[in-house]
Amino acid sequence: MSQRQPRVALRVDWPQCTARGLCAELLPERIHVDPWGYPHVLGEVPPELLQRAREAAQACPRRALHLVEHRAS
Amino acid sequence: MTQPRSALATPRPALEVMIAPGPLLLSTVGRGPELAVHEAQWGPLPALSTQALVELTAAAELRGRGGAGFPFARKLTTVLANRRLGRAPVIVVNAAEGEPASAKDTALILTAPHLVLDGAVLAARALGAREIHVMTPTERPGSGTAVTAALAERRQRGGERVTWRHHEVGARFVSGQAQAVLEHIAGRVGLPVTAWVPEAVRGVRGRPTLLSNAETYAQVAALCHVGLSEYAAVGQDSSLGTTLLTVNRMTDDRLIERYPLVVEVPTGAPLSTVLDAEDLRSPVLLGGFHGTWARPGQLAGARVSRPDVEARGLALGAGVVAPYAGSCPEGVTATIVDYLAGESAGRCGPCVNGLPALARAMTGLVADPGRSGPARGEVERFCGLVAGRGACTHPDGVVRLVRSLLTLMDAPEGWDQL
Repeated sequence: MSQRQPRVALRVDWPQCTARGLCAELLPERIHVDPWGYPHVLGEVPPELLQRAREAAQACPRRALHLVEHRAS
Repeated sequence: MTQPRSALATPRPALEVMIAPGPLLLSTVGRGPELAVHEAQWGPLPALSTQALVELTAAAELRGRGGAGFPFARKLTTVLANRRLGRAPVIVVNAAEGEPASAKDTALILTAPHLVLDGAVLAARALGAREIHVMTPTERPGSGTAVTAALAERRQRGGERVTWRHHEVGARFVSGQAQAVLEHIAGRVGLPVTAWVPEAVRGVRGRPTLLSNAETYAQVAALCHVGLSEYAAVGQDSSLGTTLLTVNRMTDDRLIERYPLVVEVPTGAPLSTVLDAEDLRSPVLLGGFHGTWARPGQLAGARVSRPDVEARGLALGAGVVAPYAGSCPEGVTATIVDYLAGESAGRCGPCVNGLPALARAMTGLVADPGRSGPARGEVERFCGLVAGRGACTHPDGVVRLVRSLLTLMDAPEGWDQL
């Protein structure tokens, strides 16, 4: 808790995404699939899931999943 | 599931527009769009420093008129903060007006193109930009012709030290969206892509880009020409300046009136200056096809100002005011949603799949409008599935329209009881 980590969220590059579904398999805690197979991303990524979120983003064959700075809406 | 669309289901912009003379932007209506008329009315372009333009537009509380209403002065300061050596800003004038129910940018381009172009030149000088792009829609060819003629006049006059580029963008609803316009300028297909940073930070060729709606530039020019006190004095009820509105009366037979009316009203003026008692007893679609339904009576005493309209839970958007004189707002909304589903750029999965599903659910809702019926549940489910999930705000705009219809249907003082 000594250093403030930047808050991170997952963002989909929608025109790139073709519903391959790897992200939802790799990070089911934060990514669900909609009825058409496209990812439904839930809010902020907690620190304990950060490493796996990175792996999910890297695993996307379409490079459509990005880690971005979380902006509170 | 492709069905032939009826004329009703495929609204196209009106071919002719009625344009009423107005206090500022539309003050030369009836006298012609020529440069000589413009200069006789407004005089030479004032020279404003960067700081002066930022302060003036901030003091005038000027916001973008494309629908989102972003404060113009803040956009200017973002562009300024991202200037670098060799990365001079670029100006984009967006008159693409993809919303078929809106005609105010077209009206401006047809009657006062030089006021719009003046605003762009003022911004270019203040920001140190040398390149101005002007976007008009292929579907409204009169706009393109008017811009071509106006630019020829300015080139002949000379002395402007800017490079003008005129583009005609595609006919889709989403073609006028900011990222789609930037894609078009970049020589790619003019459809929305994901924006990772705002165009004011990185836009045309990676340069900070001031992209604003045509009316916004005309407002900037009018403000700079007449000065803050005169500009402010035009407004009413503590609002400043003017607002362009498109009044488009919808019936069960047509979504776009044959001759929609474009009017310039003092900001803060009563909405009843453009709507009669009959209109105010009907549901009114505010802000166009991405807009919100006002139920009968909800606009009583309303003023043409963002704060007033927002306090009623509505939005003025790009200024479309569309009273509906029919008996089935569900049906009209279903027709609009079906049209909007077909206007998807086809790039984002939730939009491609979700909007047609939402359109089908809307057809179900027309047949079974019960509040607790299965059709209602389907409509709400698909709204939840498409909201916020796309490169542009097209799905969000459709959801806003549908949810406002549900609110209209639920209103205790329902329109059909009046």
